[in-house]
Formats: sequence, structure tokens, C-alpha cells
Amino acid sequence: MRNAFAAALVRAAQRDPRVVLLTGDHGYTLFDEFRRVCPDRYLNAGIAEQNMVGVAAGLAKGGLRPIVYGLSAFTPVRVLEQIKLDVCYEQLPVLFIGDGAGVVYSTLGSSHQSTEDVAALRAIPNMAILSPADAREMTACMELAGRTAGPVYLRMGKSDLGAVHSRRLSLAWGELCKLREGTGDVAWIATGSMVQTALAVSAQWAGSQVWSAPCLKPLDALQVEAICRQHRAVIVLEEHSIYGGLCSAVAEIACARTPTWVCPIGVQDRFSRCCGSYQYLMNEHELNAEAVAAQVREFLKRVPATSSREAFSLGVSVSEAA
Amino acid sequence: MPQPQTVQPFDPRRLRRTVLRMAYAGSSVHIACAFSLIEILAVLYRLHLRLGHGGPRAPDRDYLILSKGHGVMAQYACLHELGWLSDADLDSYFRDGTRLKGLSDAHVPGLEATSGSLGHGLSVGAGLALAAKRRGTPQRCFAVVGDGELNEGSIWEALLFAAHFDLSNLMIIVDENGYQAMGSTREVMRLGSIAGKLSAFGLETCEVDGHDEAALDAAMSKLLKSPSIAPKALVAHTVKGKGVSFMEANNRWHYSRLSAETYAAALAELELGEKRIAS
Repeated sequence: MRNAFAAALVRAAQRDPRVVLLTGDHGYTLFDEFRRVCPDRYLNAGIAEQNMVGVAAGLAKGGLRPIVYGLSAFTPVRVLEQIKLDVCYEQLPVLFIGDGAGVVYSTLGSSHQSTEDVAALRAIPNMAILSPADAREMTACMELAGRTAGPVYLRMGKSDLGAVHSRRLSLAWGELCKLREGTGDVAWIATGSMVQTALAVSAQWAGSQVWSAPCLKPLDALQVEAICRQHRAVIVLEEHSIYGGLCSAVAEIACARTPTWVCPIGVQDRFSRCCGSYQYLMNEHELNAEAVAAQVREFLKRVPATSSREAFSLGVSVSEAA
Repeated sequence: MPQPQTVQPFDPRRLRRTVLRMAYAGSSVHIACAFSLIEILAVLYRLHLRLGHGGPRAPDRDYLILSKGHGVMAQYACLHELGWLSDADLDSYFRDGTRLKGLSDAHVPGLEATSGSLGHGLSVGAGLALAAKRRGTPQRCFAVVGDGELNEGSIWEALLFAAHFDLSNLMIIVDENGYQAMGSTREVMRLGSIAGKLSAFGLETCEVDGHDEAALDAAMSKLLKSPSIAPKALVAHTVKGKGVSFMEANNRWHYSRLSAETYAAALAELELGEKRIAS
């Protein structure tokens, strides 16, 4: 996925002479090709993220299309106000790349881990959010961002988990991608690194339908509503806090349009406790396959045999149905 | 209001009267913040800012960023002189449904950045200056910051950036009025020599009396003509509340609102000043 990102950057710059890349002194070797092909459009803004975002806003106001690269722990979280005021308020075409999202930097501790970036940005008007799961989604997300005239945040998490798409795809804003057809009781919606986990774990429930959500904001409400209506329960998986991310977005749509049992699988409201490998921390946060399966089993025990949706459509209350 | 023919454009006394008119209409605070930078803006608009062709969003304009958004009434007064704001805009200040806010807001044509949350404008200005350089246009960017605003770390990030990227078309103007919201800069957060710091950061720096229009013009001209690749800095020594005796260096007027009496008294001083000059 990182190679796809590096290649997409070069393509973006070749396609559009207004593209400039800013980095906050991060991205060792990631920009080698970009710097070789268009050295004058690479700007290292130093370890000064607040200024970097303000400069990007100024460049965009001056007619350029800045791409701002940083670690997701710093961009957007450290510079949230600059993003809000300097960029989003004026709806400027700045693409933010937040690398290492989730617990990718497992050995570096909480300073480099980010499980709040999506929640922080979702509440800022005009900001769109992308979260690709594999190289093909990355390529499609970069193309979508390049076609967009406003601010975009692209969240790049664990990047070496392999492909979830077998074919090249083109994305529209808000669109969810169906990865596995199924007419069973349970639908799975996952984003980023957790799409692989959803594909693996969902096999334990016959007929599971599996979706990837590369666009976190906007999220196609009609599509989410349709998924909710077709299933007894929806499992939402993300390497992000269960507050304010994809699960919140799905639940916001569901609760307003079609009451549905939604199961949040993500980082609980806590920081990582220990140091260790990526897999170790995913275990610690109960985001490995076994722990996810256990959470889903527990959750489904609570879902009544007659789902809330059917109860509502029959005109009886949930408590009566249960 | 009809203007005497002898008064030049962006006359400071008239600008201050416009500020008072707005502040009284809207019962606004931040009068003293606006008064310290009146001459700075007057000289910029009258003599140095190239407005380009096509109104406030002219693509070939020089940029004037009021990073110190609290002084925005001073800039509204200038925009009024340009005809970009109407009398009705002034007199309906802070009424429900109006567009002029109490801090600089980039949605208002003529204002380039949204500030007031401090430490934003200089970075945006650096980006605009860099964009102009990369596009090969002769546009310049002036960013007015307050001395209190220099508390913000992002300002110093922006200064490093501006010097490193040789943004010779960027001029930072510090409105050094010696006060911030809760007291004097000496009491709140000592700044030491601002000019010394800016020089040490690699900016070509001048100091000037920020209420002496001729001196401001001379200093700006000198900096703008300089062949140096360094960004430019002008430290303007000013008086917070300048122009009205009971507001000068009286930080109460960061927050105070005008009553009918103080409005009349302030206006009288500014009109008296004009008569004295004219006679």
C-alpha cells in the first residue's frame, strides 16, 4: 500500500503542475521517486507542523494544490485548529496524509499512536476522510482526492496486510465496497487494517456480507441504511477509538433511519499499556481475530431472535418483541 | 459622511472615527487593539499595498493579512474607505444576520485570513508568499501581528520557515503596543528585544515609530527596495488606544465598550485633532 501511495503521489504531481508536497520532516525513503521526478515540488517544512498547515493553506489560497504528509498522531491531531480555521473554513484543496494510523508505531508508545484522528476530524465541516484498506483502495482514494476541490484527510494505517480487492476500482465519495456477498443475519463493515480481520472472522457466521468503507466521511447514508435493513446486526470494525469513528458514523445513520443492532469493534477508551510488536498491541486492544470473534459472539447473544427492525416494521416495540 | 477635500485617503483620524462609529453601533470591545495599528494600515493601503485589478479578490493583488485579528475594526475602516464596505455595514455591526465579525474572517472580501485565534496568519502569509514566488508573480504579502501574539510558538515556526525559504516578498509588521489581553507584555510574558529576535531569525529588520506615517513609509520603502533575499520585518512601536487620550496605554480599552458619553468624548478628541491640523 505504501508503494501504491508513493506511486500515486508521483502521478498526482505529473498530472497536475499545481501539486506540491510538504512534509514535517517525516517519510524517510517514501518520497525518493517523487524527489527524483519533481525535486522542486518537495518541501520539507521542518519539525513545525502548525506552520506547515498554515503554509499549506496559503499555498492553496495562492492557487497550488498542497499535499501535506505527516504521522497521523501529529497531522491532524496536533494541528487540529490550523486544519479547522486555515484550511476547512475556507474549503481549500489541501490533502492531508496521516501515516502510521492506529497502533502501527507499536514500539514507540502513545506519542506516535493515533486512535482519535478520525473522531477529531469528523466534526470539522468541509473535511472529507478516506481510509484505504489495500493498495487498490489507496490508488482509488488518491485519485478521488485529486478530483476533489476541498480538504481531504487520508488515513494510512497498517499497510502490509495484503490485498482485499482483486481488481482495480474507482471510488465515488461515500461509497462502500462490497467484498463478500451474503444473505445471512450479519453484515460486516470495516475500514483500513480491519478489513482483513473482517474477511477472516466473518467466515465463522454463515452468509456474512462484508463491506469495506474506504470513505469515512461522507458516508453514503442510503447504502448504509440498505445494509442495515437487510441484516439483523451490523458489526463495525476499525483500528480507531470506538468513539467518533466509522462505528459512530454507521450508528448515526442507523439510529435515524432504521434501528439496527450495531456492534462496535475498535479501540476502547484507553491508551496502549505496553510496548511490543504490532500484533502484540492488536491483541492488547482485543483487535486480533480471536478476540474479535469472541466480542461478536457475545454481542450476538444480546440481539433478539426477532430483530428490532422486524419488530418496528410489525408495529410492536422492541421490549415486546424481546 | 462628507469628507473635507483637504484630507488625504486613509486619514488616521477619520479611520479612528470609523472605528468608533462601528464600535458604538455594535457595542464592540477591542477598540484600543484597532487604534494602535491605524497608521500602519493607513500607510500600507495608501502607499504600498497594490490592490490589483478586480476588487478585493483580484488575482494579482498584494496580500495584507491581519494575523492580529483583534484589530479588525481598523481594517474594516480601511475597507470602508475603499468602498468595499458600506455605511450600512458599519452601522449594522454585530446585528443579527450580518457578516462582519469581531475578528478577522477570510469570508469577508478584503480580509485574507481567519484570525483572532492567534499565531495563524503569519504561516498563511508565508504560504501565500511562497505561492507567489513559485508562480513567478511580483505579489507581496504583508502580515500584521501583535506583540502579544508573539507568545504563540507557531509564529516562531513561521519565521524559521520564511527565512529558510528566502521569502523576500513577505513582510511581517509587529504592532508592538506593549499590551496583551490581561496586562502589559512585560508583566505577562517578557519579549525582550523583538527586533533583535527577528534579526537573529534571519529577517531584515527595521524599527519605527508606528504612529509616524512618514517614518512608516520610509521604513517600508527601504525594506521593499532591499535586494536581500531575506524576509522583511518591521517592528512598529505603537501605543495601544492611540488617538484618544483616555484610551491610550489604558488596557481597560481592550475590553471596554463605548457609552454615549465616552463615544462623544472620543469623537470630540479626534475631530479636534483634525481641526488643529487643518488650522
